[in-house]
Amino acid sequence: MKLKSRSTVKGLRIAACVGVTVALVFPLYWMLVTAVRPTRDLLTMDLSIIPSTITLDGFAALFKYNPVTSWLRVSTVLSLGSASISLLISIFAGYSLSRFTGRGHQVMGLALLLSRMLPGSLLVVPFYVIFLRLGLIDNVLSVVLVDTVFIVPFATWLLKGFFDGIPRELEEAAWVDGAGRIRALTSVILPLSAPGIAAAATYSTIFGWGDFLFARTLLTTDRNWPVTVGIVSFIGDNGTDWNSIMGMGLIAVLPMMVLFILAERHLIAGLTAGGVKG
Amino acid sequence: MTATGAGGAGLRVSRDSLFGYLLLTPAVALLALLIVYPLILALILSLTPGRFLNPATAPPGLSLEHYRRVLFSIQAWGDLLRSFLYVFGSIAPAFLTGLGLALLFRQPFRGRRWLRTTVLLPWAVPGVAASTVFLWMFDASFGIVNKILLGLGLLAAPIAWLADTRTVMAAVIAPTAWKLFPLFTMVFMAALQAIPLELYEAARVDGASIGAQFRHVTWPGLRVSAYIVTLIAFLGVFREFDFIFPLTSGGPGRSTMTLAIDIFLQAFQYSDLGYAAALGIFSLVVATVAVLVTTRAMRRSTA
Repeated sequence: MKLKSRSTVKGLRIAACVGVTVALVFPLYWMLVTAVRPTRDLLTMDLSIIPSTITLDGFAALFKYNPVTSWLRVSTVLSLGSASISLLISIFAGYSLSRFTGRGHQVMGLALLLSRMLPGSLLVVPFYVIFLRLGLIDNVLSVVLVDTVFIVPFATWLLKGFFDGIPRELEEAAWVDGAGRIRALTSVILPLSAPGIAAAATYSTIFGWGDFLFARTLLTTDRNWPVTVGIVSFIGDNGTDWNSIMGMGLIAVLPMMVLFILAERHLIAGLTAGGVKG
Repeated sequence: MTATGAGGAGLRVSRDSLFGYLLLTPAVALLALLIVYPLILALILSLTPGRFLNPATAPPGLSLEHYRRVLFSIQAWGDLLRSFLYVFGSIAPAFLTGLGLALLFRQPFRGRRWLRTTVLLPWAVPGVAASTVFLWMFDASFGIVNKILLGLGLLAAPIAWLADTRTVMAAVIAPTAWKLFPLFTMVFMAALQAIPLELYEAARVDGASIGAQFRHVTWPGLRVSAYIVTLIAFLGVFREFDFIFPLTSGGPGRSTMTLAIDIFLQAFQYSDLGYAAALGIFSLVVATVAVLVTTRAMRRSTA
């Protein structure tokens, strides 16, 4: 009797999990469904939950009338560029903060933590002036650099958390074997902190890919835009073509969804290890 | 778990610490060039008189006119009030959804991993992409939200969610909270894993109800994480731009004009970089004070 009621409770909980999940991912489903619906459905207000016909015509039109391929290229350069630069910097800095605890390191750790408090909306003004003077307005490099600044503090603390969890003895054993500090870092520490690096890489890539504010401010020609600026340029365009907007949204969302699905397990571990603890 | 200083002879230590600083150099350089210098520049711009988009064309001299305009006009204070409304309006539902999900997903069942990954997906969605899908769902004539509410009989006539001053704040909060809740879920899931199950057994033996178990076992285990993630979310939403800007640009009127949106519009729409910089410094000061006050309160209550 007791057992039965316990399994009922469990069934109810699973049903609740499924129900809440369906409700919360509904916007993504609605985006997908709108993107593959024939335009006439939208005109006749046939908005059934499951579309009667599925078509990819919307995507064909998207690529035909807009520089979507350029946007995707810029987004890729932006996110992978800022992710790789910030990972390199953050691995060194995170390792250093984990293994050295002098006054200078404490100050620097605090400075990195505090820099996360700065509103990007404040910095967008001086960034604009700096890149105007450098002649880097409308150059993707400017956005790569700016995104890097916002990723490094988070990634450094996340990685420091991971490095803290790796016993020093393992490194010291490598030194005894004649390996230098750099060798010990690359051959002992890095392989052991692969989950942390995966978490930091995922976080960085998603951040760079999703950036809108800096790209919108620093990139002026439409061919130099990333997908985020591209989507927003559709809003209000001749009566708002929902088919195209949702198609564009899907193009912006899908790569990050795949990345997230592959790395999700590490993200939670990463948050446990350092991301929020720091 | 923090590393202890390098052991061994003194010579070893100093050579080591040089290496330690060397590794830190790129991060220091980046911070100095792209955080400290821009901050100083923002301060200079905020003190430069007149209206300009390119500081090279600005009149010489220093002036407090922009700060006077920030502090003594109703606009900036209104922005601040709306910023706080937007921030707390977004954090409260995200916090509750995140906590609820973490508790729901705590016990294992078949397919839990997949379901969990699915429910966390909004975290990976670019903010502007989330905005566009909510723009579509809130559309006055074709939107699914009106359609559902009308169908259920909860509404008599369609609402123009993003054009009505009474509903627009809720309508920009919806996508913000939707992208934010997975962060809370992930942090709470991580924190729940760290609570020893024996504590619950002990509580049950003592006859504690579900509510009492939550109050005396679960919540104490989550408190610190809850505080830190709320702080991170506060700073994130306070500077958030990707939802309000594409949805309303601060309108209708100024109903959704937050500091983050106003700074951008003043700088790049009204070509008033000096005033925008002063607003930026104002928002930095506000954020810093808010963080210091809550950190102190948190420290006192845990001590």
